[in-house]
Amino acid sequence: MYIFKKPRWQLSQTEVTDEALFHKRRDFLKLGAAALVSSSVVMDTLWAAKNDPLAPLAFSPTPYGKGLELSTFEQASTYNNFYEFSTAKEKPARMAHTLRPSPWEVGFHGECENTTPLEVSALLTTLPLEERIYRFRCVEGWSMVVPWIGFPLSALLAIAKPTSKAKYVLFQTKYDPTMFPDQRKGMRQGVIPYPYVEGLRMDEAMHPLAFVAVGMYGKVLPNQNGAPLRLIVPWKYGFKSIKSIDHVAFTTTEPKNTWQALNPREYGFYANVNPHVDHPRWSQAKERKLGSFLKTETLMFNGYGEEVASLYKEMDLKRFF
Amino acid sequence: MRKIAVFVGSLLPLAYLLYGVQEANDPIKHIYTLTGLSAMGFLFLSLALTPLRRVLNLLRYRRMLGLFALFYASLHFGNFFLLDAQLDLRFVLKETLDKPFITLGMGAFVILIFMGTTSTKRLFAKHHAKHKLVYIALILILIHETMAQKVLGEREVFFIFLTVILLGYRGIGLVKRVKKDKRT
Repeated sequence: MYIFKKPRWQLSQTEVTDEALFHKRRDFLKLGAAALVSSSVVMDTLWAAKNDPLAPLAFSPTPYGKGLELSTFEQASTYNNFYEFSTAKEKPARMAHTLRPSPWEVGFHGECENTTPLEVSALLTTLPLEERIYRFRCVEGWSMVVPWIGFPLSALLAIAKPTSKAKYVLFQTKYDPTMFPDQRKGMRQGVIPYPYVEGLRMDEAMHPLAFVAVGMYGKVLPNQNGAPLRLIVPWKYGFKSIKSIDHVAFTTTEPKNTWQALNPREYGFYANVNPHVDHPRWSQAKERKLGSFLKTETLMFNGYGEEVASLYKEMDLKRFF
Repeated sequence: MRKIAVFVGSLLPLAYLLYGVQEANDPIKHIYTLTGLSAMGFLFLSLALTPLRRVLNLLRYRRMLGLFALFYASLHFGNFFLLDAQLDLRFVLKETLDKPFITLGMGAFVILIFMGTTSTKRLFAKHHAKHKLVYIALILILIHETMAQKVLGEREVFFIFLTVILLGYRGIGLVKRVKKDKRT
């Protein structure tokens, strides 16, 4: 009989540190490090630690974005434009604990047959979740690659059964000053008018690439990324991908999206990623991938031209920017 | 001794920049923000010493603070040229001519370079009248910084307030001198 003598360095399974305990120790170390920085950071970290860790989601993988190099979860969850909290990109991550993603109903208005509001948790059991890795390009010139989890936008819109009169879809972020501090300042002092509004043409909304995300990196969306559900339109600048959606409305006329209303010279309705049409203040030819000191070329329609270019045939993209 | 302390203190923003840039999500943007705000801060500080001299005479530090404004502005420009434009001179020129936002910043930078190079004792004696150009640079920088934001924030309102005070002080002085000249 061969007697296997375990070498001294080989620890038995019983000696393995429990994963939960391992994370606790790391959290503790982070807290210690944070204490050196500032007490307000400690409060924020404590808040985050007290909250439930983000729940993992069950989803099926898809070939979308295979081969793209992912940004880290840290980058995608600490660099956010969410003006309802702050214009500083690092702040929403520390402030978004006031957002209550559950319970959360999504409403359907306008030109559709079914206007029954839907509870998001119910939605998650009806629609199968899938993971899609998409490029995300902000109009400001930075970009990231994120594995989103969710379902095609068309599947959500189908529930409402839009009528033939529906030509556009309007999306609105929740308006609730108890959740979003900047909404408390009122219409005039808030940095932008609330609620935030975005819109798509019907054929854009029904395009298979248009996506609704409820999670990322295998878990539910962090609040600062637009929990409980947000739009992801990968061939358009990030501001089109509206966060924390309150309701959807089917309209006959083109909705006026928030940034277009604020500054029509600089931001349009279409906002397709286009390296050949500059922003009046900066070039859009290249982008800064998060964490990188070097810039990379921006791709037409953010690299989704093969799929979406036909939507804009015969359109002057310099005029309809 | 005190001069050395001011010098070392003026390098703190650079130390802070070098410390944080490795961890920054968007390093190029991070460098822009910190070098731009530092240049602006030193410019405001150096200009504030003139009206402040009635209470506290720190005029001997004015040149050094002004040169630090130029130093941080150079880093700001270096970021544009080295990292943002990746040494593409054509891109730099095109952006400078095409985009008012960049034109303003470049204009201010040219003024600061002129002031820096003519700040030696000998050249200053010859060119000191032209150093009033700094107020043009200040206005250009103010518009440039405001344009860098997507929406007007509290910080921009504060900078505008400071500029109005500094220009107002200089304006009142000018009016008084003109009146005095008329009387004599």
